[in-house]
Amino acid sequence: MEMEKDMLLNMYRKMQEIRIFETRVTELFAEGKIPGFVHSYLGEEAVAVGTCSNLKNTDYITSTHRGHGHLIAKGGQLNEMMAELYGKATGYCKGKGGSMHIADVDLGILGANGIVGGGFTIAAGAGLASKIQKKDDVTVCFFGDGASNQTTFHEGINLASVWDLPVVFVCENNMYGISLSQEKHQKIKDVSDRAVAYGIPGVTVDGNDVVAVYEAIKEAVKRARNGEGPSLIECKTYRHRGHFEGDPTNYRPDEEVQQWKAKEPIGRFRKKLLEMEVCEENELKAIDEEVADQVEKAVKFAEESPDPAVEEAVQDVYTDMIEEVWS
Amino acid sequence: MASIGIIANPASGRDIRRLVAYGTVIDNQEKINIVERLILGALAVNVDHIYIMPDSYGLGDQAICKLRHKIDTHRVSVLDMPIDGTQKDSGNAAAMMESIGVKVLITMGGDGTNRAVTKGSMKIPLIPISTGTNNVFPQFIEGTVAGLVAGLMAKNPELHKGVEKHKKLDIFKNDQLVEHALVDAVTSKEMFIGSRAIWDLENVSEVFLTRAQPHNIGLSALGGSLDPLDPLDPEGLRLTLGKGGGTVLAPIAPGLIRKVPIAKSSRMVPGTKITICKTPGIIALDGEREVEIGRRDTASITLNPEGPKVVNLKKVMELSTANNLMIYDKELIQWQ
Repeated sequence: MEMEKDMLLNMYRKMQEIRIFETRVTELFAEGKIPGFVHSYLGEEAVAVGTCSNLKNTDYITSTHRGHGHLIAKGGQLNEMMAELYGKATGYCKGKGGSMHIADVDLGILGANGIVGGGFTIAAGAGLASKIQKKDDVTVCFFGDGASNQTTFHEGINLASVWDLPVVFVCENNMYGISLSQEKHQKIKDVSDRAVAYGIPGVTVDGNDVVAVYEAIKEAVKRARNGEGPSLIECKTYRHRGHFEGDPTNYRPDEEVQQWKAKEPIGRFRKKLLEMEVCEENELKAIDEEVADQVEKAVKFAEESPDPAVEEAVQDVYTDMIEEVWS
Repeated sequence: MASIGIIANPASGRDIRRLVAYGTVIDNQEKINIVERLILGALAVNVDHIYIMPDSYGLGDQAICKLRHKIDTHRVSVLDMPIDGTQKDSGNAAAMMESIGVKVLITMGGDGTNRAVTKGSMKIPLIPISTGTNNVFPQFIEGTVAGLVAGLMAKNPELHKGVEKHKKLDIFKNDQLVEHALVDAVTSKEMFIGSRAIWDLENVSEVFLTRAQPHNIGLSALGGSLDPLDPLDPEGLRLTLGKGGGTVLAPIAPGLIRKVPIAKSSRMVPGTKITICKTPGIIALDGEREVEIGRRDTASITLNPEGPKVVNLKKVMELSTANNLMIYDKELIQWQ
């Protein structure tokens, strides 16, 4: 498939937004400015961007504990995201969610999720809602290789399969469930092998190649919108950091880390854009500078934002919608 | 030593053609089963040793482990070599097997897998078993029979009369040989290798074929419907896609049947260099986007008669029957 220059450069920009945002977050966390936990998305940028470049605003995603990249790729604003990480009142969840619970229903972001495998059934539910409402919206469910061993994997994909729901299940196989390598937590090597058990297509792609991810998801989304049901796309990738910030990562051989860093997605994409003369070096440099500036503004916005008021602690605990439903 | 080799691709049969077409799904557990049957077949005719390529899934190790109570496991080993989980592993394993003196090499994968193998060795006769997507070069062969044939050939040099030499297409970029194709090479306007497979013919300008048989799947089916060409025929086929000519109905991928406009068709003469005019773009080899050609690059394709050696199973089994290699104490059988 031919791809337009604007789209290719936008993919590059989005990947750089994730890369520079996440790099800055790791620094700020180390400085003690960000409370709670942070699970860095560094190294996996091509999966989120290649996937979300196929989605429209009204499509949905369910994210994971490692969700910053998904949210940025789906249109999340850096200011509100950084403020949320800082626990500030201007954040996406008024500073009460933090890294693992950022959501914005208006952008179709049904939430990052602190529960491993928590997204499968939410995605099936969103898909069912779209089907009942006869909308052509598609839901993408991001999950990791470790989550594919959870019971919700079966429940969510089975329902989506039985009811031909418009859901695309995107496995970010970064080869580790926390500190446990894939070979120690499952007998198979390719999570896509499991698709056959649900009677749906399963495909494995290079998750560090944004074009490869884009092409595979494009076909899966097309299939879902046409009412042909769900697909399982496995993207082989690697996280540059530990499971969480502060993880010593002594369970990964240095050689393996270096091999994967040599295949990191942004440098590869940048090189291809220049080799195929899609753009000039200065165009990419300009994007890099704009994004770096945008991230610094987000840090400033977060630092200057107010803390939530004490009474906020008891707000938003229960939804007001219950009365509407029962009335 | 009469030894054989097995190269099984753990990644075959997983690409995007499960979404854009109706590609076969063969999971790695089934590939382990096939490797087991290959081992049992070859050991049944007393092959001295079986070498298996290591891979990230451990197809060979798992097959040996499953058979450990039934066979002499000292006669089967996984090669001691580093792997990186890419197609380079197949080429490196083939080269190592050639240096060891392996007599016959069984491959498991699709056209792309066999291309990768032949980058490492063009000398060892191949028995290509299909476990991939587009399968023109490999065949659907029962593993037990393939193991028997490989074992018989390793022990009986006279059976190598059943080996046939195929052609290949050499791909040059800036006058350097960079790749080859066993079945087809396709020029496309696409800019990226991406998910590798070729399924949208809108961007394809030319198709070069070493063979074109009406029963083929994939892009060689285009030629098969138009100007059939046997794998052993010395010529190749060049098709220019586009309007102004006729239209061919062909199965370009599993379950994907398309009407394709063909503007021009001509035979390729071995050794003649054909320059690729449309750049930038991609050259796809054996169904997979492989070589990126930039605006300032030059590219050309040449038909080379010195391609891989392939075992004609039917011929070898007929020879082995004629030589009584599968019959013991024939004189004790009562003929009526």
